[in-house]
Order: sequence, then C-alpha cells, then structure tokens
Amino acid sequence: MAKNKNESKIRNNIRRLRFDANELTQQELADAVGVSRQTIVAIEKEKYSPSLELAFRIAHYFNTPLEEVFSFQPDSEN
Amino acid sequence: MYFLHEVKQVKHQKFKTMSYREKENIINIFSGLLITAIFAWAVYQRQLDGRIDLTEDFQQWGIIFLIYTGLSIVARIIIYIIFHIINTIVTRKEKIPKEDERDKIIKLKATRNSHYTFSIGFMTAIIYLALGFAPYIIFVVFVISGLIAEIIDNGSQIYYYRKGV
Repeated sequence: MAKNKNESKIRNNIRRLRFDANELTQQELADAVGVSRQTIVAIEKEKYSPSLELAFRIAHYFNTPLEEVFSFQPDSEN
Repeated sequence: MYFLHEVKQVKHQKFKTMSYREKENIINIFSGLLITAIFAWAVYQRQLDGRIDLTEDFQQWGIIFLIYTGLSIVARIIIYIIFHIINTIVTRKEKIPKEDERDKIIKLKATRNSHYTFSIGFMTAIIYLALGFAPYIIFVVFVISGLIAEIIDNGSQIYYYRKGV
C-alpha cells in the first residue's frame, strides 16, 4: 500500500506519558508547553512533527530524555 | 422527518468537532465570496446604468478597488463578530486558541500556495494584454485571481489542518 506523504517519520509516546502522568489531559499539556490543544492532538496522531524547541519542552515537562518521548523512523529499505 | 433530524444532528456535531481554525477558514472563504459577489453585482449594475465606464476610465478601477478594500474590512469585522458569538454559543468555549508554531507553518504554506495562484493570474493578465485584449480585462483577471488566491489560501489551511503538515 502506498505510504501517505503526510505521514510523519517521527514517532512519539506522548499518549502513554500523559497516561502515566496521572492521566494528564491534552489541554493541560498544551498549556504547560505553550501550544494549542490541536497541536498536541496533531503531534500524538503523528500528523505534525514539532520543532526541536517544542520537543525539548515536552520532554522537559515529563522529566524524561528526548529520545524516550520521540523516536525517528527512517524509511524502510526495499 | 427523522432523517432530516439526523442530518441536522450530524451537521451540529461536525460544527462542534471542527477546530476553531477550520471554522475560521470556512467563514473566510464564504465571506470573501459573498462580499465580492455583492460588490461586483453593485458595480456591474452601475456599469449597465451608464453611471461609470469601466472599459475606458481606469481611474474608476482605482476608486473601486479602494472602496472594495474598505468595505471588505468592515464587512469581515462584522462577520467575525457574528461568528465569534455563534461559536461561543454552540461550543460554550470562550477562549480563542493562541497562534502557535504549527499555525504559523500552516499559514506560511497556505500563503505560498496563494502567492503562486495570484502569480499565475498576474501572468495571465499580462498575456491577455500582450495578445491585444482590451486593457480593462487585466483588472477583471486581477479580481478573479485575487478571489481564487484567497480561496486557495483558506482551502490550503483547512487541508493542512486536517491532513497534517
């Protein structure tokens, strides 16, 4: 099946981290890192790759290393 | 009747689930079309009545563009106020989301698409002129390409908000 060109190569564990952080809501996380809730939704759905600064902000908020929140999925070789 | 009720419910739900930015862009497209259509109709009536001659008097085009800009700003402010009131009533949210980095990237990409569209319109107008069409045609092409560019701008934003950027 053809890969969606808008599909991000950046994977993330934000949903799980929110759940572990006492079921933090998307709005609470959005307010904490200074973006809209829609941006958090887009990042979780992997429809938007955040800037380096926002990625660090999110990791800092969860008090975890960046690579535990985000990971890079390179193109699979044919 | 039940089917109509279902359709109304779905429409209401869709309006509620759409993001603020998506709704804002839809309003922009429709208000742009409406304002331009009403204004163009009014100008065309004046042309038919013989009160203005847009085929020869290019100063009139300048005056019309300036009046259109002013009226468009005022009309959009009124439409936005009505939109905010309806949106607040329907969604019960008072807070307008602040613009963040994703919004800025989407706006930039949409502006790029809109710019390309208007550039094509501009080149079309120049080609018309080079081919010997009446000079007033270039103003008509400007108006049409400006309107299409605005639709492309808002349509692109809706696309990027839905499909991702």
